[in-house]
Amino acid sequence: MLLPTATYRAAAFVEAARRLGVELTVASERPSTFQEANPAGLLTLDLAGLEKAAGQARAFAREHPLRGVVGVDDDTAVVAAAIASELGLRGNTVAAAGAARDKYEQRTLLAAAGVPVPRFARHRLDDDPADLAKRASFPCVLKPLRLAASRGVIRADTPEQFVTAFGRVKRILEDAGCEMRDARSMLVEDFVPGSEYALEGLLTGGQLRVLALFDKPDPLDGPYFEETIYVTPSRLSHDAQRAIAACAQGAVAALGLREGPVHAELRYNERGPWLIELAARPIGGRCSGALRFGTGDPGSGAGASLEEIVIRHALGMPIASLERERCASGVMMIPVPRGGGVLKEVRGVAAAAAVPLVEGVEITAHPGESLAPWPEGSRYPGFIFARGETPAAVEAALRTAYGQLGFVLGAA
Amino acid sequence: MSTADIRITAEPIDNGRCKFLVSETLHAGGGVRRFASVEEAQGSPLAEAIFAIPGADVAEVIVSGNLVTVVKGSPAPWPVVGKAVGQAIRAALAGARPAVAPKPVAAANASDDDALYDRVADLFERDVNPMVARHGGHVELIDVQDAVVMVRMGGGCQGCGMADVTLRQGIEALLHQHVPEVKGVVDITDHAAGANPYFAAAKK
Repeated sequence: MLLPTATYRAAAFVEAARRLGVELTVASERPSTFQEANPAGLLTLDLAGLEKAAGQARAFAREHPLRGVVGVDDDTAVVAAAIASELGLRGNTVAAAGAARDKYEQRTLLAAAGVPVPRFARHRLDDDPADLAKRASFPCVLKPLRLAASRGVIRADTPEQFVTAFGRVKRILEDAGCEMRDARSMLVEDFVPGSEYALEGLLTGGQLRVLALFDKPDPLDGPYFEETIYVTPSRLSHDAQRAIAACAQGAVAALGLREGPVHAELRYNERGPWLIELAARPIGGRCSGALRFGTGDPGSGAGASLEEIVIRHALGMPIASLERERCASGVMMIPVPRGGGVLKEVRGVAAAAAVPLVEGVEITAHPGESLAPWPEGSRYPGFIFARGETPAAVEAALRTAYGQLGFVLGAA
Repeated sequence: MSTADIRITAEPIDNGRCKFLVSETLHAGGGVRRFASVEEAQGSPLAEAIFAIPGADVAEVIVSGNLVTVVKGSPAPWPVVGKAVGQAIRAALAGARPAVAPKPVAAANASDDDALYDRVADLFERDVNPMVARHGGHVELIDVQDAVVMVRMGGGCQGCGMADVTLRQGIEALLHQHVPEVKGVVDITDHAAGANPYFAAAKK
């Protein structure tokens, strides 16, 4: 299990492995203080270097055989592919996982395969933004090639906004330490109007099984693209849902992805679906808490987490059911309060948790933590979960619960 | 204080386990009580009420200070079960008897647990805490009940994104090696209150 130390997902994956009775090795980029005490269960890998990581994993596997490998985010998905290739384990090729991670390479392959994507171009950070703005079409979106969680993604409607956004994305990339060759660029693409959807899927032999399709009921029209509410099942028509699934399947094939979880972001408008992002990893943050599998029918199991499904798939273990539970479910990524600041206190958590249908309120930011709003920020201060009979009821519960919360912030 | 003033926050860990943070103390004195059956719950109104929640198939209740951890076997969602737990907490606090009875002095496994406690405490002092101290953390051994070890994390461990890795791959693994009689480890830390976690989650 490749768990970078900055992940939100350690608890969910570790607990899933424990429930499955799987003997787990956790690999991170920084050593655990228990590594010498538990050399079979803890490993340090160079997650920034594919060949080195694969070699380290091979050396490790000589003493502690590995049966499967799972990456949990964009970067570790590529490392997992390298390790899978090195050890002959179930997984994607490095080329496919790498293409999914790089927004430019991804769009190039998708466009070549006829998958609907916005018109795009890659520009170097030291290009003249005023010159680029003259040739851009508007509205457009400027975005880093690799950063996650819509960090550094900015819409521009005019040449003036383009120049300002260009400088801001550049600073964000420099602050993020993106000095690699392929990160000295940014992507500029047409803004695609329409509603946005998130598809969670599992690949087996290149075939996509849709696990859930989430509506994003809040408009994501910019200028920044901080996420808020996800609700499933989707309220789109069945035809539209089928078109989205077909679009995602086409994208998967275009990139050459074949195994494991995928998370796709798509827009849908009068011209049909548009593939905005495809990642070879499960849904991010704590959002997987909105998903449970098994309908409770005989043989289908009940209550399996997404992480259990991912681990079972990686190990070739039987999966009782990939049917999501019958009720509607949703999660709200709590927005960073306007202006940001240092978190002093969160008020109203109990009141939010007491809202009917709300299942949990998880504040993941800690007191004293600096919260930066988008586009510089990328960390939600918490998550709200709700389940109910209908997507509309779930969405309403999430909004009501959010309305109960009050963030007390100090100066950064 | 009326029961309406009692604030309860549910923090589901997964569909089987949920922590409930309560604004009032349920079990004072710094100790912890773990109830693994209806029989063990007898005499403690809070645990009795939680085990009696219909359809929840409650398997375990752990109470420490103002924190209640409930483990259930039912697939019923926490919104349903959690509200019943909240009612049980409020009723127990409003009752005439203490919500949680003191730990019986002559519990059947007390001597075994006492012996285990000493060995686990030695391991924590000798190995566990020096290791987590390298990341500014510490782990407090709260109790051993029925061979289940209860711990509370602090410092850099409290709220750390890798706390579960430390717990399962570090502490639990060490316990298996050195005190194999231990059946499990339960973390009763209020991680949300951690002000200085060593690793803070930062990626979507």
